[in-house]
Amino acid sequence: MKKILSIVIVLALTAFASLAVVTNASAEEFKMTGTISKIELAADGKAATVVLKDTKSEASVTVIVSDELTLDKFKDKRIVEGDEIRTKYDSEGGKNTSKMFKKTAGC
Amino acid sequence: MWGKNVVIVMGCILLAATVNAKEHPGKEQILKNGYHGPKTCEECHPGKAKEFLGTVHWKHASKVDHVDNLDPNEEHGMKNRIYTMCNGNDIVNNLKEVPPNALGKTKFTGCNSCHPGDHASDVGSTGAAAEQAIDCLICHSLKYDFSKRKAVKDSSGKVVMTQDRSTEAAANIGRPTIKNCMACHEAAGGGAMIKRGFSMAKGAEVHVTKGIICVDCHQVKNHKFPTGRDPNNWAHDGIYMTCVGECHTIKPHTDADYNRHTDKIACQSCHIPKTGGAFSKDFTKWEKQGNGFYEPSTLKREVNETAPVYAWYNLTVSNTPKFIGPKGSRTDGKSKIYPFKVFQGKAYYNKKDGKLMSMDFAPPIANGDSLAGVASAAKILGIKDYEPVPGWQTIYFGSNHQVTPKNKALSCANCHALNGVLNFKELGYSVKEVERLTNPELYFEKLLKLQQENE
Repeated sequence: MKKILSIVIVLALTAFASLAVVTNASAEEFKMTGTISKIELAADGKAATVVLKDTKSEASVTVIVSDELTLDKFKDKRIVEGDEIRTKYDSEGGKNTSKMFKKTAGC
Repeated sequence: MWGKNVVIVMGCILLAATVNAKEHPGKEQILKNGYHGPKTCEECHPGKAKEFLGTVHWKHASKVDHVDNLDPNEEHGMKNRIYTMCNGNDIVNNLKEVPPNALGKTKFTGCNSCHPGDHASDVGSTGAAAEQAIDCLICHSLKYDFSKRKAVKDSSGKVVMTQDRSTEAAANIGRPTIKNCMACHEAAGGGAMIKRGFSMAKGAEVHVTKGIICVDCHQVKNHKFPTGRDPNNWAHDGIYMTCVGECHTIKPHTDADYNRHTDKIACQSCHIPKTGGAFSKDFTKWEKQGNGFYEPSTLKREVNETAPVYAWYNLTVSNTPKFIGPKGSRTDGKSKIYPFKVFQGKAYYNKKDGKLMSMDFAPPIANGDSLAGVASAAKILGIKDYEPVPGWQTIYFGSNHQVTPKNKALSCANCHALNGVLNFKELGYSVKEVERLTNPELYFEKLLKLQQENE
């Protein structure tokens, strides 16, 4: 009985690990340059939902930004709607999570 | 010694926290009367506007006596210098509206877009109008609305920079925060953290993690900023700073072996092991962006991805058309080994005199034509006899920020192992000396003991 239980547990763990790997592998990285059409800060200020218009395809892409430095730039309007942004984000399960979010030019 | 350092650091943090928490006097008066630019500030700080006009932040230049091949009687700085990190400068790449690109789009751009005036009173301007054009709040307000600072055309068609002169911004003033400084300083050289490639975020810089801000170290006197000695930081307010002072002593380690190094090794060499940003640019080849504008092609890394090169530096600078970097040697009695980010940039040289030429970015931003940018800059500068030929310049940028926590600083084996970061031969040591300097006998027992303590 114990042996069967062990086998079941091992199989269950293997299946779980495989699923985890599959889930992880399904997150795809994208890069884009786009113009911000909307910034919506969460009430707790710990994330922002940003809608960007892709400069190439003109498609709208929604990205979740949660890094402190960029959020701070939204709050004091160093980055505002209309600014052009270069971003890298992970897309997983229909949710795009920003990994890099910078204005395109410096001077 | 350790205890003393802790007390000093805690003192700095407490001081910073106290000063930050303290409300600037006069808030009620500002709320009642509104903010009317520098003249409001001058009600309590008379003479400060005029004083500010004499600083590098306003002039973008100063007399320079530590750099080769510069006229010591002239002023030099981003106002007028030519090199390949920024192939333009305030003069040739003056803030302007670029011509329409192929998509019919245009935009405002210029090296002096970070100048804290209104562009009508520009870099180095003087007089009453200039005094009233100063954007005091961009440095001093904790609630500056940066969306209000932008280039626009005024009613006469002249390009001017607007400012946030709201009562709210003025009522929330104090010492400049890291954000105030980095609003301009992180964007230099063509994008966020491109030029010097360091982050001043908590976790990235040990001082910031401890609550220390830029102006705790760059202790300003009468709007004059002490600077370090980056070979590319030519303009200065006449005051310099080092790590040694209020917070750190000349022998700051509890370990005597480390302290023996401080005569010849700059603090930065061990405590700033990585920086990042651009390591190469080609101003002869502009890349088309998704928005139809062009940018100089740039190779770059994240802020902690570039290992420095190490060189002797006696705080004087070699400046030739092909090289800008540290002067110094093992034997001159003045040099220490410092870390540098090596940058290589390609731009046009004048075949007629071998000098590096500068570029007005407006034409290539619009259509990628870099030679049109050179022609425009030459016209602005009155250079008629030229033949542009591409060439490379090597530049050493000082690694002076992004100090790592001490447990991540370089230790004995990082330099003294055979594959260590220091190239002792290049640094002027003989074969016999290199053998001695890379012998594990130097560090084995010490590191073994440390390893045992940590296991």
